[in-house]
Amino acid sequence: MELKRRIGVIIVCGIPAIVGSGLLWDLSEKWSTVYGYLFLLAATLLVFLLAPQMKAKLKQGLQAVESSPRFYVWLSVLAAFILLAGYALVASLVLSMEILEFSLQIPWATLVSSYTWLVVAGSGLCIINALGGVFGMHRYEMMSKRIVFLSLTTIMFGLMFILFHLGRPERMPIQNAISPNFRSAIAWMGMLYNIYLVIVVVELWLLIRADLAERAEQAEGWKRDILRLLALKDLNDSRLGGILQKMRLDRLLYHPRLHRILDDPRLPRITATMAFITGVAALTMLGSVFAHAEARALWYGPYYPIYFLVSALFTGYGVLLAATIITYRVKGEEMSSESKALMFEMAQVLALLLAVGFALTSYRLVTGLLDPLRQGPTLFILKGPLSPAFWIFEVGLMSVLPSFILLRAAKKKSLGGVLAGSLMVLVGAFVMRYLFLVGGQIYPNVFPRLSPDLPTILPSYMPTITEVFLIVGIFSGFLLAYTLGEKFLPLKEEGPEHA
Amino acid sequence: MNKTAKKISRRSVLKLLAGGSLSAALGAPTFALARSRRYAKLADTFRCIGCKRCMSACQRWNELEMDRYELITDRNTDLTANSWVVVNLRADSQNTTKRHYQHWACQHCERPACAGVCPVTAIRKLPEGPVVINENKCIGCRYCYQACPFKIPRFDFAKRVTRKCHLCYNRTPLLNYMKPACVAACPVGALAFDYKDEIVKEVHRRVQRLKQPSYILGLTEAGGTDMITILPAKPKNMGLVVAPNKVVNHTLDKIRISASGFMAASVIAGGMYFYSKPTKNRDAGLGSE
Repeated sequence: MELKRRIGVIIVCGIPAIVGSGLLWDLSEKWSTVYGYLFLLAATLLVFLLAPQMKAKLKQGLQAVESSPRFYVWLSVLAAFILLAGYALVASLVLSMEILEFSLQIPWATLVSSYTWLVVAGSGLCIINALGGVFGMHRYEMMSKRIVFLSLTTIMFGLMFILFHLGRPERMPIQNAISPNFRSAIAWMGMLYNIYLVIVVVELWLLIRADLAERAEQAEGWKRDILRLLALKDLNDSRLGGILQKMRLDRLLYHPRLHRILDDPRLPRITATMAFITGVAALTMLGSVFAHAEARALWYGPYYPIYFLVSALFTGYGVLLAATIITYRVKGEEMSSESKALMFEMAQVLALLLAVGFALTSYRLVTGLLDPLRQGPTLFILKGPLSPAFWIFEVGLMSVLPSFILLRAAKKKSLGGVLAGSLMVLVGAFVMRYLFLVGGQIYPNVFPRLSPDLPTILPSYMPTITEVFLIVGIFSGFLLAYTLGEKFLPLKEEGPEHA
Repeated sequence: MNKTAKKISRRSVLKLLAGGSLSAALGAPTFALARSRRYAKLADTFRCIGCKRCMSACQRWNELEMDRYELITDRNTDLTANSWVVVNLRADSQNTTKRHYQHWACQHCERPACAGVCPVTAIRKLPEGPVVINENKCIGCRYCYQACPFKIPRFDFAKRVTRKCHLCYNRTPLLNYMKPACVAACPVGALAFDYKDEIVKEVHRRVQRLKQPSYILGLTEAGGTDMITILPAKPKNMGLVVAPNKVVNHTLDKIRISASGFMAASVIAGGMYFYSKPTKNRDAGLGSE
């Protein structure tokens, strides 16, 4: 127990002290601010130690850490990364945006590639959810809560990448509303993803509404009121209901027509269909953002909207398999036989999709070698400085190896194999997106040379440390959201007896 | 007999009205209607002496910050957010003995690709010719750079918006016909600014007088541009990134590309239907058991 207590103390005091003072020193370059910060921290600690009520709370907190140290260490590590991302953002505001994405020749870099990775995976989850929600496959329907929640969080945090990539994010919602350019794929993509997020929130709420009502019956006091409000149940006897009545919100919230719509058994299917249509449309427009750029030979053409759909499916399956299996392992729970069977079936589907994706990539490369306009960028991918990323990660780690591992794991019924295969797909797909994005911008964009007989100078790009902080921080935010959602929302697969 | 022939029927008036409004809506864009008052800029590589007064005049007029590159002469300079015009010493790959100073800036396309992709319509083609970025509207997404076939717009990390040459649109329409800052500063007449028709005539006159191989950049590239450059060789041999001889990023082309994605989506939906069909029956059977 002594070790666990020490870990608890480090978490409560150490991480804010070390990380916070480091960041403050870097921003202000003065030791006085660091001392001031440490003094404030020590004063807070003293208050906690001296005041008897606070001391009891501290003890409670330490006991909570002791009871499940793994969970709190995980949370604190994520919080530290999020803090670092916050530092990167503040520093980019205080100093210059150059510390995030410095390159003029490669203006869309790792932030955008991470964005495509996460958002395309989220759109793939939306397509997978349609198997249960729209096409009525019962096996997928029992996983729909987890799929919808993952889809919501991936797209939300993915859009955060693009928000911080923009120079003037505060102007985006206003200008996109008052003067959108309907010829621009980015404008369509932004609009469709925003509509999609709203629909997905409604879909998730419909899925967990019954559970919220059930919890409200077990809870007491204000918790019960809030849960009942979230489930849109009757609130007449409580204080919150009185407030709503005073604000005249009750007429809107408890309108009989609204409840008739909400209780309609067709509603979940309608929302799932709407989510499917908007999600696929948004994904196609995301592919079109790149495919419309005629000045970029690698991106241009009708191929990438199609490949984005296929890669959305396999990264979506990868995220779903990895998240589900890891969740069960960490919680130490045994998966039901139906869920297990579904995992192996999904692994087989994933292997099939990887084969389709690989066939599409080969088609693109072969036609690229024959096309005089695309020969240069294709050779750049196959033989250029980024070719290890292509051969090792895109071909090896994303396409060939996981197909065999997944098929073998499905045959041998090993969940570990499925997990390994899906993680490989995710890592390979991350590098694939990076290669697609940065490689596509490097190729035609050689520096103007003094004389054409001199060797070509390629623009160089390497992520800065603050950029890495921001990216890791946003990924940590996504993981934190999933962890908390898994803890507080009913995302677990339901057996046939519940459905 | 003649009377009946000359009579204008109500139907023909209606036809004329409908046809006129339809062609106004669909047909020639505003900038083509205003061809007579459109301006263009000329850069003559054979006359340029590389004094780089155009660069500093541009920075003074537009109140740009001085770059570190600006101190270095004859260096291989790239466009930045604070130097919208550059002069580089270049050679033709076929004839490397002779070098030329070459003036490079935004080409002000007739059908600009950047304006077509800007998600918030911050970029506009003015009827007078310049392609202008509204810096108070720009959200800094840098899509214009990706779409530009000449790779001109540059992101300003301090102001967090994209900036480029605007052909001094805030100077030329003033009274007394002031020229853009770079043209006004040129001491040898390598730069010129006039109505586009006049500039095209002047270009052909100069090329005829040259009596040596030359290339006119801007007549057909990207469907024609409002900046015309006389080069000693083909732009590819000069190591320039230039557009193909057609309109870049045409709206119909964009629709074609996005439609392929929607078609693939319908194929995937069909595949999902067939994937769900046999098992759905099995599920239904399980439920009833």
